Amino acid sequence: MPAGRQPTLEGLYNQYSGMLFSYILQFIPDQVEAGELLVDVFAWLAPELERGIDPTSSIYCWLQVEARKIVLAYLRKKGDGQPAEQGWRDGAHKTYYFSLLKDASPEHRWVFRELFIHGRDRDYVAGRSGKDPAYVSRLLQECLLLIRKNLG
Amino acid sequence: MNIELYIQSGIVESYALGLATVFEREEFEQLMPHYPELKTALSDFEYQLELFAIEHEIPPPAGTRERIEARIRETPVARREQGHRRGSRVQEGGAGFLNVEYSSNHIRVHKVWKTLFIVVFILSKIFLALAIWFYVEYRHARQDARRLQEQSTGVQEGNAGGR
Repeated sequence: MPAGRQPTLEGLYNQYSGMLFSYILQFIPDQVEAGELLVDVFAWLAPELERGIDPTSSIYCWLQVEARKIVLAYLRKKGDGQPAEQGWRDGAHKTYYFSLLKDASPEHRWVFRELFIHGRDRDYVAGRSGKDPAYVSRLLQECLLLIRKNLG
Repeated sequence: MNIELYIQSGIVESYALGLATVFEREEFEQLMPHYPELKTALSDFEYQLELFAIEHEIPPPAGTRERIEARIRETPVARREQGHRRGSRVQEGGAGFLNVEYSSNHIRVHKVWKTLFIVVFILSKIFLALAIWFYVEYRHARQDARRLQEQSTGVQEGNAGGR
């Protein structure tokens, strides 16, 4: 990215902190804890900006994907190496991306929750549900297409 | 390759949300320069995601900005990078190496080094002053010793002449 277009941490905070905070809240409903994770994300971002960021992708989507990695690493650490359940609460299936899956079956929502919120891999989810990994991939695909449809 | 079918597989959404496997991600990135439809589909979906995020925006708790600034000030760059990479290794579940990158002519160090530098600087000045003082004292002592030696030589010669 040309030097003149390189975003600053201040600029990214002003533009994306609220968006990232609500994004993190779907993993960690506690506002104080989610606020700490937001601090972690921006503290991680500072040296990344010094190295320069990829201009071809959307900055927000890149931040969102990286924030999810940081949140999942935190939840794994908190859960003693295992993907944690603490970030989940009964009402969470209605919030954020789950609001786009309101027409999906409970099985679809469960698969999306396991893969997206808990960061589990498809083989693990398949093993846990007693289904084929291809079946899990198909459910994920249907969830993603439903998200795209409801976003548009 | 039927690119429309590929797009219908949900790969664009999977990629944008960070749900693609390593293989799927690499394949998508390799195909993107050759198929402008992929880039368009990705841009469209990312735009929709961003609009959705704007609609659901929640202001972060008060003081978050200050805490970020404090964290960046307090954490040396090297430790931040090491910590991040350590986290990445845990996530990927494999052993790895710490990549050392050299991207700037400046370094940032912990602020304890500032105090340490001042202490070392003051001590060096004290040692320099002491060294000069001891050298001057040594020269005076040497001159005194030489003078005494000359006096005792003069006395001995006087005694010898008197006999």
